[in-house]
Amino acid sequence: MTALFGTKYFGFILSAYGITAAVLIVLTVWIFTTHTRRKQQLAKLEEAGLKRASRSNG
Amino acid sequence: MTTDAVKQPRGLMALANPTRFLAFVQIVLPYLSLTALALLAVGLWMAFSVPDDYQQGRTVRIMFVHVPSVWMAMSAYMVMVSGALGVLVWRHPLADVAARAAAPIGAAFTFLGLATGSIWGRPMWGTWWEWDARLTSFLVLLIIYLGLIALWHAIEEPAKSARMAAVVVLVGALNIPIIRFSVEWFTTLHQGPSVVRSGGPALAPEFLYPLLVMGLAFLLVFLTLHLMAMRNEILRRQIRTLQRKAARDHRTGNSK
Repeated sequence: MTALFGTKYFGFILSAYGITAAVLIVLTVWIFTTHTRRKQQLAKLEEAGLKRASRSNG
Repeated sequence: MTTDAVKQPRGLMALANPTRFLAFVQIVLPYLSLTALALLAVGLWMAFSVPDDYQQGRTVRIMFVHVPSVWMAMSAYMVMVSGALGVLVWRHPLADVAARAAAPIGAAFTFLGLATGSIWGRPMWGTWWEWDARLTSFLVLLIIYLGLIALWHAIEEPAKSARMAAVVVLVGALNIPIIRFSVEWFTTLHQGPSVVRSGGPALAPEFLYPLLVMGLAFLLVFLTLHLMAMRNEILRRQIRTLQRKAARDHRTGNSK
């Protein structure tokens, strides 16, 4: 693995893995923060007295 | 046996209920995400331990992220095709949820397939891009994904947007065999199939095994993200229902 550093293709290999990591991390963070935001929105609505059908049916 | 016990769906059919599905996701997600991360670590270690290829040299390592990205881009589309059939044929309650949740993840993997392929192409082919059949049909897949995401956002009424998107997904599915067989039907710069092909894989085992491990790791990453995105979509629909209920109550003068 150490033989990779400083070779003429190192930049290409680093770019390919870097862009893959970046896209997957951004996607995961976006999905995770969306979940947190929606949970908060749902909790606020339920605090206001609105009940989901699954909850109000017991 | 009570009447309730007879009516209760069991096994996978029970997951058709969004509340049960959310409970299932809550249990499965930690195991799935940890397994995905572990397999990704093993795959990366294997990918960086392979010898240089006699033709591609060190850039062969790019294949271990490029090929799994392409596999997942096409798998995500097949999930959307299943969802579209679920909407139009079986009217399954989670079908549109599954299709809609897969679209941004599929688009991300398609972008990665194009980007990593381009990065590999520059040193190997001497060009970042070529309008050949494989590359162009794969770019069309990204455009289809983006178009579908726009369509889902443009139509407010859920049942109508689900039906329209399902039809577009099925029409767009014609592009999947074109991507798959483009390297056989047309003269392309892109090499022919080397893993899934008649006569077995053309790759040497030292390259094939890391590729398969990375492929499995990407599949688990996709499943993890898809379950999380499906959970988000169910929550979005629950919020929408409550907001509409609140607006209705407000109009009729009810406090709750």
